[in-house]
Amino acid sequence: MLFKDAFKTATRSLTHGKMRSALTMLGIVIGIASVIILMSIGQSAQDLILGQVQSIGSNLIIITPGAPSNGKFSPPASAQGIVITSLQERDVSALEREPSVSAAAPLVSGQAEAIYANNNKTVSYQGVTANMFSVRNLQAGKGMVFTKKDVDSAGHVAVIGPDLAETLFGPALNPINKTIRLKNVSFRVVGVLSKGGTGAFGVDQGNVVVIPITVAQKQLLGISYLNIIMVQANPNYDINFVKSRITFALRQNHGITDPNKDDFNIQTQADILSILGNITSILTLFLAAIASISLVVGGIGIMNIMLVAVTERTREIGLRKAVGATDGDILQQFLIESILLTFVGGVMGVAVGAIVVGLIYFILSTFFSIGWVFAFPISSVVLGLLVSGIAGIVFGIYPARKAGKKNPIDALRYE
Amino acid sequence: MIEIKNLNKEYTEEESSTRALRGVTFSIEKGEFVSVMGPSGSGKSTLLHILSFLDRPTGGSYRFQGKSIDDMTDKELARVRNSDMGFVFQSFNLLSRLTVYENVEIPLLYSDIPSTEHRIRIEEAVQSVGLPEKLHTETGRLSGGQKQRVAIARALVTNPNVIFADEPTGNLDSESGLQVMEILKTLNDRGRTIVLVTHETATAGFAKRIIKIRDGMMESDTVAVSNHTNHDNLK
Repeated sequence: MLFKDAFKTATRSLTHGKMRSALTMLGIVIGIASVIILMSIGQSAQDLILGQVQSIGSNLIIITPGAPSNGKFSPPASAQGIVITSLQERDVSALEREPSVSAAAPLVSGQAEAIYANNNKTVSYQGVTANMFSVRNLQAGKGMVFTKKDVDSAGHVAVIGPDLAETLFGPALNPINKTIRLKNVSFRVVGVLSKGGTGAFGVDQGNVVVIPITVAQKQLLGISYLNIIMVQANPNYDINFVKSRITFALRQNHGITDPNKDDFNIQTQADILSILGNITSILTLFLAAIASISLVVGGIGIMNIMLVAVTERTREIGLRKAVGATDGDILQQFLIESILLTFVGGVMGVAVGAIVVGLIYFILSTFFSIGWVFAFPISSVVLGLLVSGIAGIVFGIYPARKAGKKNPIDALRYE
Repeated sequence: MIEIKNLNKEYTEEESSTRALRGVTFSIEKGEFVSVMGPSGSGKSTLLHILSFLDRPTGGSYRFQGKSIDDMTDKELARVRNSDMGFVFQSFNLLSRLTVYENVEIPLLYSDIPSTEHRIRIEEAVQSVGLPEKLHTETGRLSGGQKQRVAIARALVTNPNVIFADEPTGNLDSESGLQVMEILKTLNDRGRTIVLVTHETATAGFAKRIIKIRDGMMESDTVAVSNHTNHDNLK
């Protein structure tokens, strides 16, 4: 039997039971749509997270104390409650002497209650030098950021995040030149960061208090070491070269000869991107795996209906065999029917998925003003169609074989 | 054309077995019109199934057009059924939601006949059973007699050498039954071999030769006297 004729025969019998065909397809439609939707959500989340990391700048290098974890992601040693004092002020000076480094900005951080009048909120504060604002591309929406002079003179000045300003001062009061307290130390607010500032390592920039590093080290933390050094690479140099220069400088400073005994960890934006990329890819795959369960259920639905169809059409099978159809011809016909069902279901699932993904994007960006990324990965479409086609074969082969093997006499006698 | 020798058919179901055919021997030449008669349970349907390649015998030999059934694979049997045999069943076995055209087309779909020839062959076959105006009607809407004529058209469309008819008038009123038998007779007059199974004497009377079966064995094999008398009986 020619494929063209088999195809025509299959479409004929499918269109005869339109309602049943539609209901059978529904399982596949839902399965494929959920694969598409979840993969797209995963992709969007990935784009969102990676986009935030990217916005910290591709020439930013982050140095944290503690031994490198060889590419595996691990939180900074400080977050594990281990105090590592290996990064010092003199490391910053050494890095600033490197021609491949544009700027090196140290950072210390801690948590404290920020108090103004009767309002308070527990915040994370960051002690930084004045050049941190340019390295991190942070700007004051109101007032201004503090200067090198404020840092050198250990001035009690603070730049606060916009959300914190709202919490402490409300919408009416102007925070500029008001005095807030952190751990009983008073700070004059000189600026409020503009909204949308990006947090590094998940720090909520809206609720941050940024103060001179000198004050933070001596009066709030009582330490002389650094938590992080952020380095802006000179854009004229390759980032990996800069990284190797930094490694060299720090080893020299720390007197390290064995490269396996580094007491610092250097990460570029690319390193962080690749780690986060791995995590989010796994997340996306995980979501797709969950969605594919519904696909399997849909496929079993198809198998069920096809088995019923084989029984119902026993006489038709008998007749076709009597007039010369071989086992293979019958198998082909039923297999085409199930593949058609799943494939058309797959196409519809892709369409439904696209609509839902569009709706999610519309709702999140319109009503929740989340910077959600519209992502509709082509790979999910290809995967969806491929999987639906394969489901048609896998779940269709058993009923089709059963149909092909029917004995024509018994089939013709079947009532 | 058809040569059977000592044909046996035994059905085994769990422990009991039934012998439907016990050593039947005869041959049918090209152009014959043979009626196989017998009461129900006599084995005549089993015989027809074997003759028409729908079933295999458990003993004895069967040569169709000089070739032994034992030497043929199931696929080859399907091929011969398609190109050399036509089937007419008691219960028509039409696909009721397909049109007359589509039903008659079915054997062509499984044949080597090029698709460019399909239309003309189908139209000719439907014409020859006198239903050209119903070509695109769904067969579910036809009367019993019309259905059986469509079934004959379907049997004719591949231009087979022999037509097997299993109680073709069984589900029809005598008027329609007569029409159907007339068509078969005409086909025989044009040289086609017809093998008919029936228990109605009147229907059998259209044949030139009557083989009677009882309890799986051949009872008699006689040449029919005259077609006219039987024709009148049917009326």
